[in-house]
Amino acid sequence: MTKLIIDGKEIEVPAEYTLIQACEAAGAEIPRFCYHERLSIAGNCRMCLVEVKGSPKPIASCAWGVRDCRPGPNGEPPEINTRTPMVKKAREGVMEFLLINHPLDCPICDQGGECDLQDQAMGYGVDTSRFAENKRAVEDKYIGALVKTSMNRCIQCTRCVRFTTEVCGVPEMGATGRGEDMEITTYLESALTSELQGNLVDICPVGALTSKPYAFAARPWELGKTQSIDVMDGVGSAIRVDTRGREVMRILPRINEAVNEEWISDKTRHIVDGLRTQRLDRPYIRENGKLRAASWPEAFAAINAKAGRLDGKRIGAIAGDLASVEDMYALKELLAKFGSHNLAVEGGAAFDPALGRASYIFNPTIAGIDQADAFLIIGSNPRKEAAVLNARIRKRWRTGQMKVGVIGEKAELTYGYEYLGAGTDTLSDLVAGKQSFADVLKNAKHPIVLVGAAATSRHDGAAVLAQAAKLAAGIGAIKDGWNGFGVLQTAASRVGALDIGFVPGGKGLTAEQMGTFGTIDVLFSLGADDSKIADGTFVVYIGTHGDKGAHRADVILPGAAYTEKSGIYVNTEGRVQMANRAGFPPGDAREDWAIVRALSDALGKTLPFDSLSALRQQLFKAYPHLMRLDQIEAGGGIDALAAKGGKVETAPFKSPVSDYYLTNPIARASAVMAECSRLASGKIMTAAE
Amino acid sequence: MSMRVYIPRDAAAVAVGADEIAVAFEAVAAKRGIALEIVRTGSRGMCWLEPMVEVATTNGRVAFGPATVEDAASLFDAMMADGPHPLRLGIADELPWLKRQTRLTFKNCGVIDPRSIDDYKAHDGYKGLLRALSLGTDGILDDVTKSGLRGRGGAGFPTGIKWKTVAQTSADQKYIVCNADEGDSGTFADRMIMEGDPFVVIEGMTIAGVAVGATRGYIYIRSEYPHAIVAMNAAIKAARRAGFLGKSVGGSAHAFDMEVRVGAGAYVCGEETSLLESLEGRRGLVRAKPPLPAHQGLFGKPTVINNVLSFAAIPFILDGGAKAYSEFGVGRSRGTMPLQIAGNVKHGGLFEVAFGLTLGEIVDDIAGGTFTGRPVRAVQVGGPLGAYFPRALFDTPFDYEAFAARDGLIGHAGIVVFDDSVDMSKQARFAMEFCAIESCGKCTPCRIGSTRGVETIDKIRKGEQVAANIAVVEDLCNTMKFGSLCALGGFTPYPVMSALKHFPEDFGAPSRLQAAE
Repeated sequence: MTKLIIDGKEIEVPAEYTLIQACEAAGAEIPRFCYHERLSIAGNCRMCLVEVKGSPKPIASCAWGVRDCRPGPNGEPPEINTRTPMVKKAREGVMEFLLINHPLDCPICDQGGECDLQDQAMGYGVDTSRFAENKRAVEDKYIGALVKTSMNRCIQCTRCVRFTTEVCGVPEMGATGRGEDMEITTYLESALTSELQGNLVDICPVGALTSKPYAFAARPWELGKTQSIDVMDGVGSAIRVDTRGREVMRILPRINEAVNEEWISDKTRHIVDGLRTQRLDRPYIRENGKLRAASWPEAFAAINAKAGRLDGKRIGAIAGDLASVEDMYALKELLAKFGSHNLAVEGGAAFDPALGRASYIFNPTIAGIDQADAFLIIGSNPRKEAAVLNARIRKRWRTGQMKVGVIGEKAELTYGYEYLGAGTDTLSDLVAGKQSFADVLKNAKHPIVLVGAAATSRHDGAAVLAQAAKLAAGIGAIKDGWNGFGVLQTAASRVGALDIGFVPGGKGLTAEQMGTFGTIDVLFSLGADDSKIADGTFVVYIGTHGDKGAHRADVILPGAAYTEKSGIYVNTEGRVQMANRAGFPPGDAREDWAIVRALSDALGKTLPFDSLSALRQQLFKAYPHLMRLDQIEAGGGIDALAAKGGKVETAPFKSPVSDYYLTNPIARASAVMAECSRLASGKIMTAAE
Repeated sequence: MSMRVYIPRDAAAVAVGADEIAVAFEAVAAKRGIALEIVRTGSRGMCWLEPMVEVATTNGRVAFGPATVEDAASLFDAMMADGPHPLRLGIADELPWLKRQTRLTFKNCGVIDPRSIDDYKAHDGYKGLLRALSLGTDGILDDVTKSGLRGRGGAGFPTGIKWKTVAQTSADQKYIVCNADEGDSGTFADRMIMEGDPFVVIEGMTIAGVAVGATRGYIYIRSEYPHAIVAMNAAIKAARRAGFLGKSVGGSAHAFDMEVRVGAGAYVCGEETSLLESLEGRRGLVRAKPPLPAHQGLFGKPTVINNVLSFAAIPFILDGGAKAYSEFGVGRSRGTMPLQIAGNVKHGGLFEVAFGLTLGEIVDDIAGGTFTGRPVRAVQVGGPLGAYFPRALFDTPFDYEAFAARDGLIGHAGIVVFDDSVDMSKQARFAMEFCAIESCGKCTPCRIGSTRGVETIDKIRKGEQVAANIAVVEDLCNTMKFGSLCALGGFTPYPVMSALKHFPEDFGAPSRLQAAE
């Protein structure tokens, strides 16, 4: 800790702080444009100038370290002033310069109301300019489907260049030209290829980079803001859902250092239009092979006619990727009333909760990646399966203190890695210590073994998982204070489902068995759009979108999307988080737990809760760890899993995520995601389209 | 009969026909049947006498100049006869221009063959390095610190302290970088020494490498210096062959090798951090300091980055000259400075002298006033970003602190003289325009201020709201001076403000300006 005097106040700050951080710690607000805590320091906007005693010139506080300050002649602590006339004049001068070229188009700028330049101009700007010449004009650039450019507004802070290069790992943005001719652009104005590019809009301190899909949609002060949790992948990023009336207008990240820092993936941010289109807003019944709109009682009656007197063995339920814990719990309780153990969550076949929580969560935690010194990826493309987590891996890799090895598909992950092999053979070699990377893992203090969907979604997923656990145990990844075995779950529902035992119980059928002809008569599908269902099974689909699942359904019960209900989700780390309701489901659609509750009544098997809080009371009683929001219930060891063994096939790992942008019904309903998918696939649109 | 003639291959001499004269001399010699040895040297620094041809006599080298191809035959005969000639200047070393100098850095420039390491060694070359090898790190740093040498690139940072910082920073790799991106208008000392005595630069860099533990050196030369690039490359090869570069420098345990990197023409790449960026293969953008290059320089490793003249001063200092060096000069400016006198002067060229001469002595005495014969009105010292000094300030001694006290800088010691026909508002505009063209575009004050400065000065020159616009220029200059990231934006206000301060009449009455245009 170093002692400083800031604005006459003595304060102790860590020596590795820069002055801007020290001043913030002392409560002094420092205006800035180019400085960003999570990016490298550029020191180019010159707005954060402060006065350091002994220096004849004001100093850019972002680029000046606390340890660069010299004490006074008699050993007094360095003195920094942030409010002297010298500082004010210097900042006013810089602001005057910035405003010379910046267009005065705040009334038509989407950044208006949340613009750093606008805010700072209130403090340091003047009402009229002394420069009447023509402003500098720059042509707008095309940089992709998500970010709209208005380059006249650019103040060349280069945050975007640094963000894409450093955080995204795609060095596709840069500057051309010198001096006043300097322009920010992507290489040959091609679309950015990052899954994190939406964050550019938040990074840009002015209105040069704004959200393309959200262009001219709303003003920030018109919006209701709801803090919530994202469900597009297993990461559970913290988000803020902005609504106007009942419509979700946009989704922004919230800061959660433990999970997403302050980034969110493009899918998280831009599926907003998918929440509006293709929605199921009333129940449907299939009659004569065609779906027709129906009332709730009609729909319930149709279900009752089919399922009311069935034996539990002939009934099953599969939960999809977006189901909340409460929804699944309600459905599980309903099936329990039938005496059915036929429960499964999509993509969960490889996991057995009986082996302990550690066998299916990401034990080292996302923040734990920051400590890792060796990282083995088995059957996963984290860039596609969890873009934000991938940025965390890249962040650690950039420090040079972590080596990465990959078994599986050779993909561009935005960081360098040693490619070890394509499938289980390599994994076996590694377990046997035949690979050189085994030594890297063994010698590491905090190794992580990540097992992804390409491994666990296979028929032999359980055996591969067991083998990976054996490897993790063998290299000493599990020790006091560190569990380096981690499963990267791709869906928001999965850990929650495994936590509450939404899995085949006893002699219950698996999802695959339920999908086989003749095994069951009635299937409750809780948004399970990706499951194969045999002909002849009566499907009750509870979901939000007219997607694959709805097309196969015999009765459709319209549910609520994640922005329209309060629900618990457990992320891949096992962190319990609660999503909040930002709006209401459309039309006759209802919250899923309430649908199940009403259905239970119609089926004569009334569930014992009348409200969400009553449901939660029961849930928490059965699974107390779900009560502890934002916390992770430690998973224990993985010895049981490692000991399980099993026969593995030799086929190479292949990711089940074929198109990152179209993994769930909401994303598939989004035109923005479709455009991103098209760009990513490299298809060129012709003029006719 | 044989004769040895010295003809410079310095770019300034070549530009006025030195190569043709060499060819003509050979032709004459062949005709006369006399064995002629032509040694292509560097320049002695008397640019108004170039091409200056010297002949070896028993009394020393006798100089003739400025020579032309037509004079070749008559010169040849006069040289053979050691007889009179209209162009005969006398014994070169006795010429007043050279006699008045204290040549420590440039003592071999114009004397030796820059392609011959043996010639260099015969003129005390590599003595400094051999002594440095026996001294070791502490001894070298001690000598450099004691000499009082300050960075000759312009900032005047004590070289000993810089080297010490690098020496004390531990790293697996350290670098020595020589800044030969000499872009200031009116400066040419770097070029001259690289073309005339490249080994002294190599020796200086090698000593730096030995001192701080660096094994790799780069010399970053601007592409506009093709002759210097050739000379340096040839010298590096020769030094490598002679064992002064490579795995075992001078037979010692120290390894040091270096290479030439050629810049692409950006002025700002003369700024040390953007030079490093450029060396690394990136856009020449200024880095925010700290971290200092001494801690994290080239490729993030501790780096000594010095000007050509700083390195060139080292061999003398290490050859037991530390004390002698420090005894020259005044105040905190110790040693000698190679002045580069240019512009509207009678006698332009390189003049190495101890600090302390007044500006008046330099301009009136040494340079001999203006070429046009009109009175001197202004002198710009320190390149395009240096302040303009009026006659009233000619008593300023040539010394870092004295110039700073008068809002000026000596920079790289380029001195450009203007007579009374100069329009200072035009010069002020030029300073802003220069900055606008050369700004890297990274920081706000320099990027925007320079362009808007040109526009505002244009308005003043047109007589539009002069007082109000001068106030704008003053504010604008303040923002640039206090807010800019590097010296390009930070020093552009110096010529502008000094022109405004000392020559207000050029910015004032609109009628006069219109009449003049």
